[in-house]
Amino acid sequence: MREVRVAFVLILLSCGPKGLSGGPGELRINLGTEPPTLDWTLATDNVSVTVIEQLMRGLMVLDADLQPQPALAERWEVSKDGRIYTFHLRQDVRWSDGVPLHADQFVFSWCRLLAPATAAEYAYFLFPILGAQAFNAGEITDPNQLGIRALGAHVLRIELEAPLVYFPSLTTFMVTFPGRADLIERYGDAWTEPGHLQTLGPFVLDEWEHEYRLVLRANDHYYLDRPPLDRIVGYMVAEATTALILFEQGVLDIVRLPPLEIRRYLDHPMYRSKPQLRGYYYGFNTKESPFDDVRVRRAFAHAIDRSEFPQVLKGGEVPSSSWIPPGMPHHNAAIGTHFDPDKARALLAEAGIDPETLPPVRAVYNSEQRHKLVAENVQAQWRRNLGIEIELENREWKVFLRELNVSPPALYRLGWGADFPDPDNFMNLFTSHSANNHTGWANARFDQLVQDAARESDPVRRQVLYDGAQRILLEEEVPIIPFFVRAINLLVAERVKNFELNAMDIFFLDRVVAE
Amino acid sequence: MILFFFKRLLQGIPVLFMVATMTFVLLRFLPGGPFDREKTLPPEILRNIEARYHLDESVPEQFIRYLSGVLRGDFGPSYKYTGRDVSDILTDSFPISLQLGSLALMIASFGGVAIGLTAAVRHGSVLDRGLMLLSVAGMSVPSFVLGALLVLSFGLSLGWLPAALWEGPSYAVLPALTLAALPMAYIAQLTRSSVLEVMHLDYVRTARAKGLSERAVRWRHVLRNALLAVVTYLGPLVAVLLTGSFVVEQIFAIPGMGRFFVTAVTNRDYPLVLGATLVYACLIILANIVVDILYAFLDPRIRLDGAR
Repeated sequence: MREVRVAFVLILLSCGPKGLSGGPGELRINLGTEPPTLDWTLATDNVSVTVIEQLMRGLMVLDADLQPQPALAERWEVSKDGRIYTFHLRQDVRWSDGVPLHADQFVFSWCRLLAPATAAEYAYFLFPILGAQAFNAGEITDPNQLGIRALGAHVLRIELEAPLVYFPSLTTFMVTFPGRADLIERYGDAWTEPGHLQTLGPFVLDEWEHEYRLVLRANDHYYLDRPPLDRIVGYMVAEATTALILFEQGVLDIVRLPPLEIRRYLDHPMYRSKPQLRGYYYGFNTKESPFDDVRVRRAFAHAIDRSEFPQVLKGGEVPSSSWIPPGMPHHNAAIGTHFDPDKARALLAEAGIDPETLPPVRAVYNSEQRHKLVAENVQAQWRRNLGIEIELENREWKVFLRELNVSPPALYRLGWGADFPDPDNFMNLFTSHSANNHTGWANARFDQLVQDAARESDPVRRQVLYDGAQRILLEEEVPIIPFFVRAINLLVAERVKNFELNAMDIFFLDRVVAE
Repeated sequence: MILFFFKRLLQGIPVLFMVATMTFVLLRFLPGGPFDREKTLPPEILRNIEARYHLDESVPEQFIRYLSGVLRGDFGPSYKYTGRDVSDILTDSFPISLQLGSLALMIASFGGVAIGLTAAVRHGSVLDRGLMLLSVAGMSVPSFVLGALLVLSFGLSLGWLPAALWEGPSYAVLPALTLAALPMAYIAQLTRSSVLEVMHLDYVRTARAKGLSERAVRWRHVLRNALLAVVTYLGPLVAVLLTGSFVVEQIFAIPGMGRFFVTAVTNRDYPLVLGATLVYACLIILANIVVDILYAFLDPRIRLDGAR
């Protein structure tokens, strides 16, 4: 019996953690969850983006400073009226199976994105193209009526409905990447599985154990220098604490820090943090009392001391009174309401509001620890600075989203992350035609300024337009109060070199070295 | 007995139908839909998506479409994992939960019976009290606490076992223990109390009186009858353990199907919720049939209805 016991212990010991840590040339990251899809036409989420960015390239690519740089297009021309873009493709690009890049592959992919049957969520990215929105809505069915044309193998001509200065920026986003009709036809939905999927970026898909692990390897056909990494292994460890333990054991090289752990690693040499183009705001239902009165909205905005948020959340948040976030072109830190409790109380009095008799105001957020912390903090600030009681309610995420669309509460929290680094992506949100504007607020002057800015190619004039629009949004009308921008907090192992963080949480791994 | 088995299997069909109907209806009552997003979709795009997944049809039409699919073995496409079918997702993840769950089931039943029997035999001793204290602890410590403690001690501090992931047999030890702790504790208590109860019955006294050894009395007469209670509990337990656990899979990063019982609901991935629920229901039905057959083996007084 004793021997059996000893043998059992020995067996247990012998199957301890094997050499799971990555060797030179292999990087191990945590994706967190399964990418819902690697079909770049259908993908919408961050995890899918992280993988697809390694596999594919578009006409343009963002550099580490988030400036669009030529990628598959070596140059482009814009017509005088700003409506026609002509992209000239590189001639040396091949897919991982050796098939050369052809302008038709863009036409196919973009038409597929817009086709109603594809039901792509991000089809609206290409709505600026002539006929695109009507095609997607099924009003026109002939793809030849779209402003997308291949002029030979290496020229792509795009005609827009109206000038749009940031159009090249859109072509950095995955839904605009080229696609292969032959593969999708041959494999159907399974075209994104290993062995089927062909790509033209720095890496190719090697293995995909769903819900567990995904392996990429360097693409020998990549049109630029072969990346220094041979392999990238992406695990799908959902629990941040577990990922942290695996990092400590050397199994993972890059992990996201769970909020509660950030403080412990602040002075750690492997700790990295970077504020994101991701705004956090509270919105008012401007159709309902008391927030149908602009003075009340301004009073609430002036009663918020934004410097308290980083202390409460401790995740490297950066307070911002401007809606165009810091780090985005045309950001202006001077714009927005500033903390001024006296002015806030005066505005409230001017609106004829007596905090004593005002019925409690309802604020709704989705159930998550950090949203709760923010909600409790602003509840305390409004009580302290205005004497107004806020009733907090939390909702499960999907219930919350449905409520915002059907009957928005008096006050609600929401966030917005940039899809591409242009202010239009943020400012468009609160135009009267935006489905994301839950405030009930509409302002023709604001709409016009945002539209003009999207067409303005001169940066100085564009700044003036955005400043004007932001003043209406944040100082005069105040349908929302921006609070802060969020940061990402990572641990990066010492053996990983050349890994640069950026404001859009994109992993650029094509130049990363693992020693 | 084969006849009994098939008869019970047939009886399971209306049960599955009820489960599918109830789940389908309840899901539609849940506020918020699968395509409610932080970035609200323009109406024309929402219409295209609803058409693709037939969500623009009336609810009864959708239900009939779903049922006829299930009869053909097609659980439909997942709304969250675009391009993957629910059948594929469950075929990938169920075997992993099955492996982990079987191991946990073995630990829980053998361990639980052994502990319960030891405690009952040494009734009133320090060992008995110690074991019962342990089993109360096993029932009261939630698995996310136990899992974390096991990871920190055996995974991180001692480094004996892998802290997480799913790469080989050693990776199953800590999650299986976490998964098994509660049922093992419960089985130990169940075994102990029913052994104590049986030990004082007449037939045990008769067995002793006719001169059987204490060992034979315990194994052949006491334990066999005491196990009836445990077997009853094993039926639902099999379904619970074999379909995985959200918490354990989350802590140990195991790609099983337990997670879908939670994430599919939060994502409003209706087909995936239905698929996972039906797998669970099938297991419950099968396990209960096996339990009934086991009854007949353990207690000759029980006759299987329909068996000849």
